[in-house]
Amino acid sequence: MSMLSFERKYRVRGGTLFGGDLFDFWVGPFYVGFFGITTIFFAALGTVLILWGAAMGPTWNLWQISIAPPDLSYGLRFAPMMEGGLWQLITICAIGAFVSWALREVEICRKLGMGLHVPFAFGMAILAYVSLQVVRPVLMGAWGHAFPYGIYSHLDWVSNTAYQYLHFHYNPWHMIAVTLFFATVLALSMHGGLVLSATNPGKGEVVKTPEHEDTFFRDLIGYSVGTLGIHRLGLFLALAGVWFGIVCIVVSGPFWTGAWPEWWSWWLNMPIWRT
Amino acid sequence: MKLTMKLALSLLAPLAAGLLTGCERPPIETVQTGYRGTGMEQIYNPRTLLKQASLNQAPAPADAAAADGPKASEVYKNVQVLGDLSVSQFNRHMASITQWVAPDAGCAYCHNPENFAEDAKYTKVVARRMIQMTQRVNQDWKSHVAETGVTCYTCHRGNNIPTNVWFAPKDRKYANSAMGDLAGQNLASKSVGLTSLPFDPFTPYLKDAAPIRVNGNEAMAGIGNYSNRASTKQAEHTYSLMVHMSESLGVNCTYCHNTRNFQGWEESRPQRVTAWHGIRMARDLNSDYMEPLTKTFPEHRLGPKGDVAKVNCTTCHQGAFKPLYGAAMAKDYPELQALAKP
Amino acid sequence: MAQYQNLFTSVQPVGPLHHGVDLPRGDDKRTGTPFLVHLLGRIGNAQIGPVYLGSLGVASLVFGIAAFNIIGLNMLASVDWNPIQLLRQLFWLALEPPPPAYGLGIPPLAQGGWWLIVGFMLTVSILLWWARTYRRARQLGLGTHVAWAFAAAIWLYLVCGFFRPIMMGSWSEAVPFGVFPHLDWVSALSLRHGNLFYNPFHALSIVFLYGSVLLFAMHGATILAVSRYGGEREIEQIVDRGTASERAALFWRWTMGFNATMESIHRWAWWFAVLCPLVGGVGILLTGPVVDNWYLWSVKHHVVPAYPLGNPVVIDPAILGAKP
Repeated sequence: MSMLSFERKYRVRGGTLFGGDLFDFWVGPFYVGFFGITTIFFAALGTVLILWGAAMGPTWNLWQISIAPPDLSYGLRFAPMMEGGLWQLITICAIGAFVSWALREVEICRKLGMGLHVPFAFGMAILAYVSLQVVRPVLMGAWGHAFPYGIYSHLDWVSNTAYQYLHFHYNPWHMIAVTLFFATVLALSMHGGLVLSATNPGKGEVVKTPEHEDTFFRDLIGYSVGTLGIHRLGLFLALAGVWFGIVCIVVSGPFWTGAWPEWWSWWLNMPIWRT
Repeated sequence: MKLTMKLALSLLAPLAAGLLTGCERPPIETVQTGYRGTGMEQIYNPRTLLKQASLNQAPAPADAAAADGPKASEVYKNVQVLGDLSVSQFNRHMASITQWVAPDAGCAYCHNPENFAEDAKYTKVVARRMIQMTQRVNQDWKSHVAETGVTCYTCHRGNNIPTNVWFAPKDRKYANSAMGDLAGQNLASKSVGLTSLPFDPFTPYLKDAAPIRVNGNEAMAGIGNYSNRASTKQAEHTYSLMVHMSESLGVNCTYCHNTRNFQGWEESRPQRVTAWHGIRMARDLNSDYMEPLTKTFPEHRLGPKGDVAKVNCTTCHQGAFKPLYGAAMAKDYPELQALAKP
Repeated sequence: MAQYQNLFTSVQPVGPLHHGVDLPRGDDKRTGTPFLVHLLGRIGNAQIGPVYLGSLGVASLVFGIAAFNIIGLNMLASVDWNPIQLLRQLFWLALEPPPPAYGLGIPPLAQGGWWLIVGFMLTVSILLWWARTYRRARQLGLGTHVAWAFAAAIWLYLVCGFFRPIMMGSWSEAVPFGVFPHLDWVSALSLRHGNLFYNPFHALSIVFLYGSVLLFAMHGATILAVSRYGGEREIEQIVDRGTASERAALFWRWTMGFNATMESIHRWAWWFAVLCPLVGGVGILLTGPVVDNWYLWSVKHHVVPAYPLGNPVVIDPAILGAKP
């Protein structure tokens, strides 16, 4: 079968959130579970709807296919299929699939006696998607504020949404989020590099120890966060980056309608130093 | 309580406070300006709009005056412009212009009360030229002002000097030192919406006719005649002009553009054409009307570099996508709608 | 009932401070007495120090601090030496590269000369630091993976500040030193070249950026989730697979059908992180020297989605022969 050499002993029953033993089995390497069924349902339905939308559209070019949300005039109502209703259904399927996936991860964690950190982290990503496609549009009063489903078309949305605020780089929450994203890449390269450097030390050298890892970074910058710390740090940087990304876009529109550079006037006009 | 809880709360509290600084709140108004899903929208805070609307009201027009009777040029002396109006119409105009430009100072702001005809005060000379400028805008710049047109009030709004005029920026105190060259940017400037973009987009683009476009027509970089020679720095200058225009009109970039393709006219909105004409109009007014008046103004009305006050988009628009939100004042003042025949 | 998630260390055993693995002959002694910071110990190691101050490190710091100071002094000068304004407008201030008129020539000190000096000194500082990361690894008998990852970042830095300006024939194309000004540069570059979102290398670089964030969230969370089995002892788990690695691998295998190993996940990590600046640098280098307008390039390559145009279609007034 498609089992790893050590896998069999881990394939036990239990850990399910819902449905008991009914769906507690594997298909190939994949764990199913009740939420595997719901995942397949939402994912398949959503995919079929996307394909149908593409078929109704002007092109099958992968880069040009786009399923757009309704006009703003529909507000928070259900729009006709060809006028954005399809987009709405696909969004419902997406949320259903993502949440199902996260709950399935929970079931797998429970079965393996692991902490729930992974589905929690994934929950942050789901929150980002839901914030963009549900929370912010609701706060602004129309589904039409969400991004379209298309490879390049969703980038057109990003560009235009950003320029609604003249210069989105000045959004302070965006600045923090970008900093955290870049810090995550930096930390990831350092962690990946460090572990590989200890386990692949080069010709004629033996595999090194965590003491070597710590010593390397202490020699380099005076501090080493350590084997446990780096994973806490990495998870934190990544999730904090996503969190501030969520904040930066939910604020843009519902809680700030002007140009983002103008936001800084509170700092410039502080009584101690205003000119 | 547990340390983690304390830590979490102590992180959340300033975070929440930070989120609230300089913030607005829903509900907000949005206007779609492009195909659905492209993100082309205007966003308004209705509470701000209400305040803006109240600050941008057109005053009621003066009661119509009789057109019959002798012409103003026959009755009054030294009437160089508006001579074809009847005396009643002429006086009506004078009363309106006083309300629009000098409601507190009254007629004496321009005239010598002992001798209304004389041109002793610079304000009278300037006002005469400004009347011609207004006529010019309404007659020759319909491409920008259409049939709505402008009056003196559009810029002056009851002030002697419009609240938003521009001068060439003064040099830094230590401008000639070996360090700290600003290169015309990198300060927090209101003129460019508090960005660090070049803080004088007006001299090159609204006085002089520097090229604004920075995009070429070819995908690939060309050589020689075919290459687009604009620099990234030039793009910053164009950007600063665009920030000014957006802030002046209280709109964002998607009012005119689909930002995926800024340069493409076929993907832009008709408002972009109006703006194109507006830029040319500003240049025209600054070079043909304002600049020649430099010697007429006294010292205290000139800028730090001795230049005359000039117009930019904010001068008329003052934060509204159409000045006075499109109130058609000019239709009640036909004398302002055309330059007098010589 | 509440479960401990191993996010903060609740009980910190305090042992003897570690003075570092012995260095081979030829290296200096380490500097500083290590000390503990309890709060730091709740997240990672509590020990700060010692640090290795070698010639490469000291030289790097000298050049780096000099560059930093010149930037700061120029910023201060630009607000007429007013320290309050320096603080107030700090984010807006900058040290600008030379204006376009000077091309690749040496400009006056005040008009880009300082920028060139700083650029040179900062680059020397960074390269010296790179050599330091290489050397420290070699002296400890480690592989040089960290140094080569750093090289990818240096590649992007040099592309933006050196290679691309040279290929464009103008120092003015380089990035200014300043918080908001460097963001203005980013926007201006995109505006000048037909929207960088349509640059496929830019898109790929973002894939690796978001992918890195995704991967570190996944990897960090996975290790924390199996930390009860010693999952964070990655080296030991690599050479002698324990239940932590097994559960971690199976989690992902059961979730998405395939999995990494305790070692290979770090290769995924390294490559995703390195490919972000590597591919990004390629994309920037192509922008200008090779491609002038990425939107038009994308139209040529049939990837641009079509939207219904306005009615009537807007026409460029300049070509209509309208009043110039």
